Amino acid sequence: MAGTSPSSTSSRPAVETRQLGRVYKSRKDVVVALQGIDLSVKQGELFGVLGPNGAGKTTLIKILVTLLLPTSGQAWVDGLDVVKDYRALRHRISMVSGGENAGYGLLRVREQLWLFSQLYGMSSAAARRRIDELLERLGLAEVGNRTIAGLSSGMRQKMSLVRGLMTDPRVIFLDEPTVALDVGAARDVRNEVRRWMGEDPTRTVILTTHYMQEADELCDRVAIVNRGEVIAHGTPQALKQQVDEDVIVDLQLEPGRPLLDALRAIEGVGAASAREEDGIDRFSLLLADDAVLPRVLTTVEGSGRRVTGLVRRQPTLEDAFVKLVGRSLHEEDSSGDGA
Amino acid sequence: MGLAIVRGWQGYWVAVRLGWAISSNWTRPFLFIVYSILRPISMALILAVMYTVITHNSAAARPYLAFLIIGTAFWSFIQEGVSEFATGILEDRGRYHMLKYTYLAPLGFPVFLVGRASSKLASASASVVIVLLVGTFALGLPINPLTIDYPLLVLACLLAFVAIMAFSITLSMVLLAGRDSHGYGEIMAQFLYLFSGAIFPISLLPGPLAWLASLSPLGYWLELCRRAILHGRVYEMFPQLSDGEVLARLVAAVAGTVVLGYFTYLLSDRMARRRGYIDMESSW
Ligand SMILES: Nc1ncnc2c1ncn2[C@@H]1O[C@H](COP(=O)(O)OP(=O)(O)OP(=O)(O)O)[C@@H](O)[C@H]1O
Ligand SMILES: [Mg+2]
Repeated sequence: MAGTSPSSTSSRPAVETRQLGRVYKSRKDVVVALQGIDLSVKQGELFGVLGPNGAGKTTLIKILVTLLLPTSGQAWVDGLDVVKDYRALRHRISMVSGGENAGYGLLRVREQLWLFSQLYGMSSAAARRRIDELLERLGLAEVGNRTIAGLSSGMRQKMSLVRGLMTDPRVIFLDEPTVALDVGAARDVRNEVRRWMGEDPTRTVILTTHYMQEADELCDRVAIVNRGEVIAHGTPQALKQQVDEDVIVDLQLEPGRPLLDALRAIEGVGAASAREEDGIDRFSLLLADDAVLPRVLTTVEGSGRRVTGLVRRQPTLEDAFVKLVGRSLHEEDSSGDGA
Repeated sequence: MGLAIVRGWQGYWVAVRLGWAISSNWTRPFLFIVYSILRPISMALILAVMYTVITHNSAAARPYLAFLIIGTAFWSFIQEGVSEFATGILEDRGRYHMLKYTYLAPLGFPVFLVGRASSKLASASASVVIVLLVGTFALGLPINPLTIDYPLLVLACLLAFVAIMAFSITLSMVLLAGRDSHGYGEIMAQFLYLFSGAIFPISLLPGPLAWLASLSPLGYWLELCRRAILHGRVYEMFPQLSDGEVLARLVAAVAGTVVLGYFTYLLSDRMARRRGYIDMESSW
């Protein structure tokens, strides 16, 4: 359990899981969505859960917010058991999911938020103040009196964030809060999350994301989840150190025959990922040392493809991810099982 | 404790307001006219016409005609209450994507759903009044607003509403497991229609069903409504029972339904969390 501090310090962990697992059974098949998850998140931490599609991120969040029962193991949020103490726990948490266009379309933004605050037992006046303040900060003050149906999906997503933050939960769970947002809106969301945490140093955020850079910049600590298991966790810095020894090379090629598997087969290539941008194939390679590079270039030439660019660069969280998982976040899982 | 009750009450009213704002027929004139006026009136008229044709409109048949019309009129409570409950679950999940958030709110999900369904009481009451007016003027029922026993009527209807909500909660598992938002409420309401003595006395049901129906509060409620409105001039399902005895049975049956609703809710809530129903998307 490198990277986690013992929970004997004055404050209890905000989130703790022990051998947490979840299996989905249906008539047709059995999906192991999570298994053996051991996590400990400190109060005041902004903790990221990073993983490809189908990794089990949403399942983890659903269990922690008491929407879903685990099928094995245990979990505590703010010291409360998510299975036994679920009613008490609901007073102390909230959840926001990105990319779902939630909201009662006929209501006005302020009206819906206020109605919601009342389901949380907030005093009406305090709720109105808080809502105005948060709308203002997220740049939604002008649309506060518009009906929700008239909002863009990005505005709706920000409104959902206001709903999550306004009740001042001890722990807030954000499931891909910036998915499908434009750059500016995503930045507003990230800034607001940071600022909200700053208001009280014991507030905790658990956030899932697809975006490496977001995790790297925003999160104090990150867990990388793949096919239901935590395969690494630590600060983004510590995770990047996993690839410190490696030589990281970005290679640009003109389009041609598929090459990824051939590159991965070369001895000394720790991991390789590819993506296409503007008709150019970009490969990222993790090499054991500089001596591997000539072998790579020989393979590329052998395949008849032309190199248009080659740079050596600093490791990113993405590189650590690729090394650990064996593929990039955006690449389909080709091994068949799981997602 | 006291504060919790105050907060719970506020939350309930907010849910009423929400139901009112987003799905009350009352606020949407077209839907209101179709669902709360035209539908109950046509239901009542179809039954009335069939019945008067069969009985050649004889004077002896009048008490039973009154039975039919009052039963059908008050049926709106069940129709709208159960449907709105179903809508509260299925539309909030499938259409508004809000169910998981309202479900997780500390207010408590049943209180929220009951609040939303309560928003239909006004339009349901309006449709009762309209059908009774039609009954009085078009079908010549001897209803006189000045001789109605209002306290008995209101008490019976409040109790019935509690029972309808408890019954809906009992069925919430079926709703949560359901994938689309159409039909469930209607089907449940139709099912209750047969069991509640709305159009025929429950004693006409086959043995075991009659026994089941005698445990349900709905028959006693409709009986009290009929007596409160047309005492002595309406066919009675329980002629051997006094008003007080029918009321006592209503209270007992409502209490039973509430207990049943409570325990089935605990079970279905757990099952919903085990199976992940609360935020199930139709794609699953
Ligand atoms: N209700 C369900 N029934 C059956 N299988 C499910 C259900 N929900 C999720 N799964 C499966 O469990 C696995 C984990 O899903 P989950 O939604 O937790 O992943 P995720 O990491 O959130 O993915 P994404 O990045 O796409 O949101 C997937 O294989 C998914 O198909
Ligand atoms: Mg997800």
